[in-house]
Amino acid sequence: MLDESGGHENVGARWRPTTFLLALPSLAVLVGLGFIPLALMATWSFWSFDPDTYWIKPAWSLASYAALLEDGRATVFLRTAGLAALTTAVSTLLAVPAATVVGLMSGPRRAALLLALFTIPFFTSGLVRAFAWRLVLGRHGVVNNALVSLGIVQTPVEWLLFSDFAVVLGMVAAYLPFAIIPIVLAFARIEHSVIRASLDLGAGFWTMFSTIVLPLVMPGIVAGFLFVFVVAVGTSMEVQLLGGAGASSISIMINDVLRVVNFPLAFAIATVVVTLLIVLITVANRALRLSRLFESLGI
Amino acid sequence: MAHHSGNGPALGVFSQLTRRRLVHNGVLGAAALATGSLGIPRAARAADEINFWATGTLDIGDDGWKIVANDSGVKVNFTDNGNDPGPVVAKLAVGNANDIYDIGGLQGGSEKELARRGLIAPWDLSQIPNYASLWQWAKDIPYLTYEGKTYGIPTVINADSIIALRDKAGSVDSYGVIFDPKLKGKTAMEDAWINSVIFTAIYLKNSENAKIAEPGNLTADELGLVMEFLIKHKRDGQFRTFWNGWEQGLQLVANQEVWVMTGWEPIVYAARMRGVDCYYAVPKEGYEAWGNNTILLKGAVNRGRSKAAHRLVNALLSGFYGCKLGMLRGYVVPTDNNVAYATANSSAFDPARVGKLVEHVKKKFAGKVYWQNTRPDNFQLYETWWQRLRNA
Repeated sequence: MLDESGGHENVGARWRPTTFLLALPSLAVLVGLGFIPLALMATWSFWSFDPDTYWIKPAWSLASYAALLEDGRATVFLRTAGLAALTTAVSTLLAVPAATVVGLMSGPRRAALLLALFTIPFFTSGLVRAFAWRLVLGRHGVVNNALVSLGIVQTPVEWLLFSDFAVVLGMVAAYLPFAIIPIVLAFARIEHSVIRASLDLGAGFWTMFSTIVLPLVMPGIVAGFLFVFVVAVGTSMEVQLLGGAGASSISIMINDVLRVVNFPLAFAIATVVVTLLIVLITVANRALRLSRLFESLGI
Repeated sequence: MAHHSGNGPALGVFSQLTRRRLVHNGVLGAAALATGSLGIPRAARAADEINFWATGTLDIGDDGWKIVANDSGVKVNFTDNGNDPGPVVAKLAVGNANDIYDIGGLQGGSEKELARRGLIAPWDLSQIPNYASLWQWAKDIPYLTYEGKTYGIPTVINADSIIALRDKAGSVDSYGVIFDPKLKGKTAMEDAWINSVIFTAIYLKNSENAKIAEPGNLTADELGLVMEFLIKHKRDGQFRTFWNGWEQGLQLVANQEVWVMTGWEPIVYAARMRGVDCYYAVPKEGYEAWGNNTILLKGAVNRGRSKAAHRLVNALLSGFYGCKLGMLRGYVVPTDNNVAYATANSSAFDPARVGKLVEHVKKKFAGKVYWQNTRPDNFQLYETWWQRLRNA
């Protein structure tokens, strides 16, 4: 249905009692499981921690935020963000052509099959998946054995495992579907007549792709980018199992401070991360109108 | 049990009650969900049932606990506590562990703090006849007592050192091999200060003449010296990784990812079964000795389960548990009752095998050992330094 401005009528914009009642359970879940815990987390991050009793108390303090700059924590923030950004960039570069094959160059059956294949990593636990990379990348792993037996290297390549390379590889393999699926969704919204028209008018594949398709799927690319980035910032398994000696990440850092029950510091770390991610998502939404991804849903 | 907020009683009490209430409600909710039996009062449970919250490797399985129950009249509900003393102490101090569990088993050193806080109760040794059979040096482990009372019963003991690949590392007799530049990138330590800091301190004290009085309880200056040493070697790329848990440790050795690492002896046996020629070194600086001690939680006393807890601990020292645990994990309960039980029950246990295991551990303790301490006086500083090392 088209509204007066020629766009899709936004059904959700009507404010009726029925709409409110239907939305109430979702609203309760959102507030109860989302907003309230976040608000409590932010509030408690300003409370004080007594290491002698382990209790936190409502004596307002910025000590936890000051501690973020101590003991190398700032470095861990930057390092985690850097590895997550690299993972996200690689995932996005791989996801765009993969999603193009699924969304643009495949029929429904092949698209479904390919999508199912991309979700295979989720069939097993992340821990097992990350641990399996040790057997592949290790000194006597599949890759090194192949390299040595083919005479490409004389001795096993050490940096394949317990390195940033291994961490990024493990995260890309695990989180690539998060990048692919939003782009496939974006492809599904493209009117094929637009593509046919551009080809009829003489555009080659690359011209059509870069001037028509890419701008239309850009919200999907950005959404996938954000999904992967958020998950990569929050993970610890790949860093712990595939990173080098004592490699750290924000999640590991939070776990470390929770060992001594320093909840305010853990909450302060989490609050900063959540705030930065919300800012990132808001900016991306404003700049690239991510909401366009959901327009066909009438939202 | 009293807690002090340290910043005015009203605020502190509010905070504590709020958190305790949250935890309490959470437990009730979880219990109700799990059993659908919220209305059943705690007192309705069998009086001779003990909830044993200990290191997972101390579990001898349903069949084993059934025999313990037959011998002692105490049914054991075993729960793995994760073995990390930090969270265990925290759950006792500010969590609900004392509401749920009756006795605990954790690596030695935390007894003093738990006793000082009133979270655990002293054992009445007169109710544990088998205590007399414990080897004297096990009774003499520091950290078992507080203000003259015994809070920890040494239930499992052993001593750790270095695992080495024979054909790669050659003959190893010092922790110095872990820090040897010739093995750069081929060594590893455990990702836990309770082991890695004491190993390093033992090495620095004995081979580098560092002024360290007690490797298991470092002063702030001694700790700084040890941690700066570790941080330097980490930055130099000396360690291939820091490992965590059985599977990771075994994989490093079995796949020859590292040539030497500080670690647990059972890893050697498991790696050998996978065809790896490795051995457990006898370091000239001495072993890191550890005891997994059984503690009586205050909650058990409050619930009237103290006598049952004593009966159970007595059973753990009576021989069967030692034989079973030895066969399952290669661990030793420090009493001659193990061999006596195996001899009397040779159809169930091989007395020679049990005896060999006991002698092996006794031999380690005949030399120099330093006791692991999971709660040194500066433990908060240990945690901070370990975070610095990780973040370096």
